[in-house]
Amino acid sequence: MSQDTVVFSARRIVTMNPSRPFASHVAVRDGRIVAVGSLTELAGFAAGEVDQRFSDKILLPGFVEGHSHIMEGMMWSLPYVGAGDRRSPDGKLVAGVRDIDAIVARLKTAEAAIEDPNTPLFAWGFDPLHIGGHMLTRQDLDRVSKARPIMVIHASFHISNVNSIVLERTELLRATDISGVVAGEDGLASGELQGIAARFRVFRSLGGNPLSGNLTLADVSRYAASACIQGVTTITDLHNDLLDHTIELYQAATRQPDFGVRLVPALASVSNPPEQAIAKLAALRESNNDKLHYGIVKLVVDGSIQGFTARLRWPGYHNGAPNGLWYIAPEELPRIVDIYHRAGIQLHIHTNGDEATELALDAIEAAQTACPQPDHRHTLQHCQMADTALFRRMKALGVCANLFANHLYYWGDAHYELTMGPERAARLDATGTAQRIGVPFAIHSDAPVTPLGPLFTAWCAVNRISSSGRTLGRETEVLTVEQALAAITIGAAYTLKLDGMVGSIECGKYADFAVLEDDPLAVAPDRLKDIGVWGTVVGGHVKKAPSA
Amino acid sequence: MTAAAPIPVTVIGGFLGAGKTTFLNRLLAAGTARYAVLVNDFGEINVDATLIERHDGTTLSLSNGCVCCSIGSGFLETLGGLLDGDARFERIVIEASGIGDPWRIAEIALVEPALRLDGVIVIADVRRIAQLIDDRRVGDTVRNQFAKCDVVLLSKSDLVTAAELDAARQAVLSVRPDVRIETLLRETMPDLSLLAGSRTSSRFRADGVADDALDHEENFRRWAYRRDGTFDRGRLAAAIKKLPQELLRLKGTCRIRGEAAPQIFQMVAGNWSLSPAGRDTSAGAGSIALMGVGTHDLPPDAELEAILDGALALDDALAHPALI
Repeated sequence: MSQDTVVFSARRIVTMNPSRPFASHVAVRDGRIVAVGSLTELAGFAAGEVDQRFSDKILLPGFVEGHSHIMEGMMWSLPYVGAGDRRSPDGKLVAGVRDIDAIVARLKTAEAAIEDPNTPLFAWGFDPLHIGGHMLTRQDLDRVSKARPIMVIHASFHISNVNSIVLERTELLRATDISGVVAGEDGLASGELQGIAARFRVFRSLGGNPLSGNLTLADVSRYAASACIQGVTTITDLHNDLLDHTIELYQAATRQPDFGVRLVPALASVSNPPEQAIAKLAALRESNNDKLHYGIVKLVVDGSIQGFTARLRWPGYHNGAPNGLWYIAPEELPRIVDIYHRAGIQLHIHTNGDEATELALDAIEAAQTACPQPDHRHTLQHCQMADTALFRRMKALGVCANLFANHLYYWGDAHYELTMGPERAARLDATGTAQRIGVPFAIHSDAPVTPLGPLFTAWCAVNRISSSGRTLGRETEVLTVEQALAAITIGAAYTLKLDGMVGSIECGKYADFAVLEDDPLAVAPDRLKDIGVWGTVVGGHVKKAPSA
Repeated sequence: MTAAAPIPVTVIGGFLGAGKTTFLNRLLAAGTARYAVLVNDFGEINVDATLIERHDGTTLSLSNGCVCCSIGSGFLETLGGLLDGDARFERIVIEASGIGDPWRIAEIALVEPALRLDGVIVIADVRRIAQLIDDRRVGDTVRNQFAKCDVVLLSKSDLVTAAELDAARQAVLSVRPDVRIETLLRETMPDLSLLAGSRTSSRFRADGVADDALDHEENFRRWAYRRDGTFDRGRLAAAIKKLPQELLRLKGTCRIRGEAAPQIFQMVAGNWSLSPAGRDTSAGAGSIALMGVGTHDLPPDAELEAILDGALALDDALAHPALI
């Protein structure tokens, strides 16, 4: 047929299209899938040789990460000191550092590499819960340097640890009466800092926040490279002020013919009043291209469960901590939701605690009653504590959920012991409930908060096991492998209203594939996360993941 | 160290719709001092157009010397930019978010040497405050806004009866029995420096002028502590831990050994802080003047004085303030 049609063969193609679930060949033309089936069925499409390069690989639809942040691309300019292994955008496996000595050793190496003695050393990814609750003190960091300012940013991004020189320069050593300046055993500041007062003082003293500067093309390229390494072909940037500089950068990056991922930025609601945001999105949508999809808005209703800032219904936090914080006033949310809903804008609403989820559903119900929009697909992001009754309301209202499956592994133990207690922790990120009730759902990483990697996220939902080995609701809330694969492909695409273009391998859709070394449906479910990712195909362009 | 005296900071808190913006509009228009006012949302700022000299999208410059900056989504950047700029202001006024905790913002002024916390004012709508305090979803947020404020301003009082006004006052007192409460009147603009005020001119005046709210409440007892001398910081920290919990608040000026500047001391519910006082404070060298408020069963003065005396520097001869 067409000279430009390429037919790929594969060991197996798992299409995630229920009407033709498996195939051996796929024909691609003009960046889109023109046919899927057997060699015989595709004979008419192959003008020349069949492209055999994937004949020993498994093809899946390119994975869709429905909740992650461009910051994943910015972090890798700084050394990583988290406990879990992580893959850098250049394909290198960066081993986790699992005790204080190992963290100090890695920081020493990074410190020695900086020439200017006054340049601060920043690092990221630390979480005491992942190394047996051990804190990183200023004395630990003083072992790295007593002269150079050092700041280690926690995995949560809300807490950091600094060395003594930073505390001395900022005069915070004795300021332990200030919220978030944590006291050590000697009564002086331990080096752990949270909250805006300490943040303001420290960043002024260090000459700025390394993560608040302007986004660069290199950051966007790193984000795309990280996606490729994990088999992701559609990725969100789920909270962005979308300043002119960022808009120009996204425009330029996605227009490069070989740019390796489809980008879905969500406009941060806080950055504009709704009326202005709606006008801004209308203009932005005009500039959409194959790899850039503006249109959605992100609202943040509460904080995080492990940070005790999520809003919980009675009886609240398991350990008795006071209820969390509203980031949007409960009486404001219905007004904001209503304005966007009437304008036909799809909302992605961050709600971690069940009180926040209930409030968001109240607001959507009121908006939907006042102005029915048949396919609004408003999506609750994280939605970690919803019970069955809240899922039933989601179903009734046409609301989707994007559940934070990676939390089961990374903070499952904290939720069991501290925040939610055994019963509620067992239905944390209740994928099984969503599946049973029929709420359309996806699962996500929130990268860089947890590592980007849909196969790992699927593994979390299939095995529901914490980092210490405790299982959480495995009997009732696990997904089958098929269901989990749907949640990282067509399910996530549905929550972004992109399911007509991506999320399955079928005629007419973009030729976006995840190229895997093994068949997820054939390996043991507990090995899902270990399947090698060869790379991706994006719009017919083959991208081999860098490996180092 | 900067040679200039720290700029006093007033934080304005209060729930959505309390009347913060109206208050700030009047403050800007009155222009009784060179204020820099940081607001959450420009949209509602409504200053007489004839006053506006320049409007560049994020900053409104007025002919009376005041500026108004939109916080947008970058509050810390906005405040940092203000401190780094050339313009010098007599006072910085910061509007907290309607669901935020104004004390968290106030703490910035406690740790930043270029700033001095002058006061936290929370505005409350008399028609709604009682209901908000008990609200299932936002009650904790609203109550928390009062926890560490210096003064509560009741707004929209002309819209209610005297009985309703009193009910609003009682609702606030149920959260903060010792707080000073003032009624905001449409025709007069209160002076910020007198309202929350540098400590010596507020309800903790060393001359002990009675506080309105306390006069109405016989369930509270005041206590004044005065000494010629200086505290030792470490001993002070230890002494404060020994103070009885019946002592609700303690405020005033003091000297700390080794510190050149007189210090403003504040303690609320066991949390305490020291911050350098500006030039305008009346604290003389080597003097300590603190005013406390406690519940009716506050232990005798002598007992309290013994605790704080334990915090005095042992050898005052060594207490000459070092040069900054």
